[in-house]
Amino acid sequence: MILLDSLLMFIIAYGTGFLYYGLYRNITARFQRRYGPPVWQSFFDSIKFFTKEDSTSHGWMFYLGPIIMMSGAIMTLIFIPFFSSGESFVGFSKYGNLFVVLYLLVLGPLGNALGVGAAGNPFGAMGITRGLSRLFAMELPFYIAVIAIMSLSGSSDIATISSTQTTLNAIAYPLLFIAAMFSFIGMMGQAPFDVVGAPVEVYSGPATEFSGKFLALLMSQSAIFTFAKLVLMVHLFLGGADGFVELLSKTFLLFLFVIAFGSMYGRFKTPQSIDFLLKVPTVIAVVGLILATWSS
Amino acid sequence: MDLSLFGLTDIVVSLKATHLANFFAMLIAFSSGIVIFISKNYRLTKSFYALFLLLSSSLFLIVYAQDYLLFFIGWEVMSISTYFLLSFTLSKEALHKYIIFAMASALSLFLAILILYSGTHSFLYENARESFLALSDVNGIIFVALMLFGIFVKLGTIGFHYWLVDAYEESHNFFTPYLSAVLSKMGVFALIILVTQVVTLTYTLAIIGLFTSIIATFKAINEDSAKRLLAYSSIAQLGYIVTVLGVADGMSGALYHSLIHTAVKLLLFINIAGIIYVTGRSKFSELGGLIYRMPQSFTLMLIGIIVLAGMPPLGGFASKFMIYTSLLDAKNLLILSAVMFSSASAFLYIYKLIYGVYLGHPTNKKLESVKEVPLSFLLPQYILALLLILIGTFPAFVVPYFNAILDELGLKQMAFSDISTLISNFGEYNGLVVISTFITLFAVVLLFLVSNRSRVKEAKNRFDIAYCGEEPTESTHLHYGYSMGKELRRVSLLNHIYKNSVKPFYDFIASQTLGFSDIFKKIYTGNLANNFQMALVFAIILLWWSIK
Repeated sequence: MILLDSLLMFIIAYGTGFLYYGLYRNITARFQRRYGPPVWQSFFDSIKFFTKEDSTSHGWMFYLGPIIMMSGAIMTLIFIPFFSSGESFVGFSKYGNLFVVLYLLVLGPLGNALGVGAAGNPFGAMGITRGLSRLFAMELPFYIAVIAIMSLSGSSDIATISSTQTTLNAIAYPLLFIAAMFSFIGMMGQAPFDVVGAPVEVYSGPATEFSGKFLALLMSQSAIFTFAKLVLMVHLFLGGADGFVELLSKTFLLFLFVIAFGSMYGRFKTPQSIDFLLKVPTVIAVVGLILATWSS
Repeated sequence: MDLSLFGLTDIVVSLKATHLANFFAMLIAFSSGIVIFISKNYRLTKSFYALFLLLSSSLFLIVYAQDYLLFFIGWEVMSISTYFLLSFTLSKEALHKYIIFAMASALSLFLAILILYSGTHSFLYENARESFLALSDVNGIIFVALMLFGIFVKLGTIGFHYWLVDAYEESHNFFTPYLSAVLSKMGVFALIILVTQVVTLTYTLAIIGLFTSIIATFKAINEDSAKRLLAYSSIAQLGYIVTVLGVADGMSGALYHSLIHTAVKLLLFINIAGIIYVTGRSKFSELGGLIYRMPQSFTLMLIGIIVLAGMPPLGGFASKFMIYTSLLDAKNLLILSAVMFSSASAFLYIYKLIYGVYLGHPTNKKLESVKEVPLSFLLPQYILALLLILIGTFPAFVVPYFNAILDELGLKQMAFSDISTLISNFGEYNGLVVISTFITLFAVVLLFLVSNRSRVKEAKNRFDIAYCGEEPTESTHLHYGYSMGKELRRVSLLNHIYKNSVKPFYDFIASQTLGFSDIFKKIYTGNLANNFQMALVFAIILLWWSIK
């Protein structure tokens, strides 16, 4: 039962993730006054890549990287319930909690970092270095906001946090939400914090050496992971969801905001983004935490 | 134990096998057993072993003592025997640093103990709180400050870590795992005794611990030597323990983290000792690309770093979970954020450790022909890795032992429903489900790829990489990531950590002490006649004083 549940969650996330990715390419294209590719183009690309050969092998650890990343992404997905209540689409969420999910969010990228390192490509290592340096700065405001929310809800269970919101957390604690959003834009790999992959600048970042099935695996995990992160954010700040319509509309609105934000700004360098994240959103988060817990 | 036999009628000392003592004694005995495995690879002299045994027995005296007198004797023997053990390999400067700090620590502990004794004229722990309450306010503050100084030097808390990093780096590779795993735990033990038996210190400890873990983490990121990086990592991990001991109900997290930290630091230091044994190098800029030469060592270090990072499937997460939930429970939200921040920053040095040694490219021709380390290095690491996986899968399997300790100290027990589930007020954590989910998913993805596999071209050589359409050569600088973390210096906020150091402060202290000793030298010249005159003057003063 729980396995079937998880499988369904995986299929839905896979489809929705690629749909969102297609829409993302279209919407950014419109921002740049051009027509994007067909919506399902990325999905078909990934299916096609699964049938292709890999160009070069760099040993077993090189292959394990994307596999760990995929496992990490699916695991994050099934440890976050889709809905705030009910018995379906919960996956393994009752065995985990928010702390586990916070760590699972970085499990995949770290696993992939090992694969990239094993390939020995300096451009890959460059992407990893940038990613890890940015990571801690990005996590700090998010952690502060999440900890405040956990303490206010009195639980680290995601469904409980989601269902105990009488007014949406985003409205009740706006400063926490703003701070968490800065981190969230970084987690989604959007500008101004998109220095990790740094499209059109570095020779393609962490994904440099991967081809064929492993590139397809990386694309698929990115789709699933994106959806999982959106669902988490909706649970924490936007009151969760009770049906697919609500879930999809809330996640899509959030997604739209993130990509619109990303299309508007330029890219920070690594030290700049660390500096910014440690100053502005962190201060907002600390003030938000003090204000939120002062009254209670 | 009554000491009237020795003419000490008023002094009572006592030894007792409490649960707390047993736990730390177990850590000592286990670590000694583990490091002995690697001893056969080194030609160590008899005196080294003798000192090592003396050191271990002094540690047992420290943990089993029930009073501050025996504790101090154990502490002193520990410091001195460590000095002689370090003297085999340390440079003169590092050795001087060690002995000065160790003596300062011991003296301040001694003074603190004497101050406490003045309260109720008893050294026993059971009277310690009463003695402390009997002290005047000023004496109480002096006691706490001296006690904390002594303990912090041993823990290497930031500000007092000046001796530690050099000592760890230069100590014998056989001895470094023991230094980090056991000797630093004596500081933890002393701190536990202090906060449970004498005086509770809340935010003082929490804030000192936080500064320690954050600053040490960023210092670790910038290190080029594996042993120095792990030394800073030790400081940072002990910082978490100090933090959590400050807040209410943090004891369970502190004990759990002590256990995990002991095991993981043994594993990592033995791993690095193996690397140094086969390659003779310990700097990331001189290593690299060893993964396919030493796959077993790589896998073992991988397990070690997953635990050190506190990643969910393995043992590290269980202790982090205890620490986080106890802080959340006590509503110390900002402290919790800072601990989690430091823990997330640690990913950078943890990745640097494994990348610098095993991944990337070999920086030297010799590294392409090295062999796997001998079995005597691998065996202890396998034992430790198994233990850590076991604790990760069944995080509650050690809890009954901790509960016995917590019960004895009169603290809140840790909750668990079955062997694999830890329970806190903020949700539960099931290690078995997490690890089996991960393994299942991993297997499914792997099977999918294997069933769908196609012909793959092996890389011709290690230069066969995508490199902007060019082909790198022998002279191309490819081991890029060994210097990761350098760009953090460009972040103004973080550069304060790198720019500042305690060295100028201790240099100042040293210069002042030298100046003082110059004055002293004017009186005490070493000339026999002078000495005789001085002695005569003192004798006359004493005589005059006694007559008066």
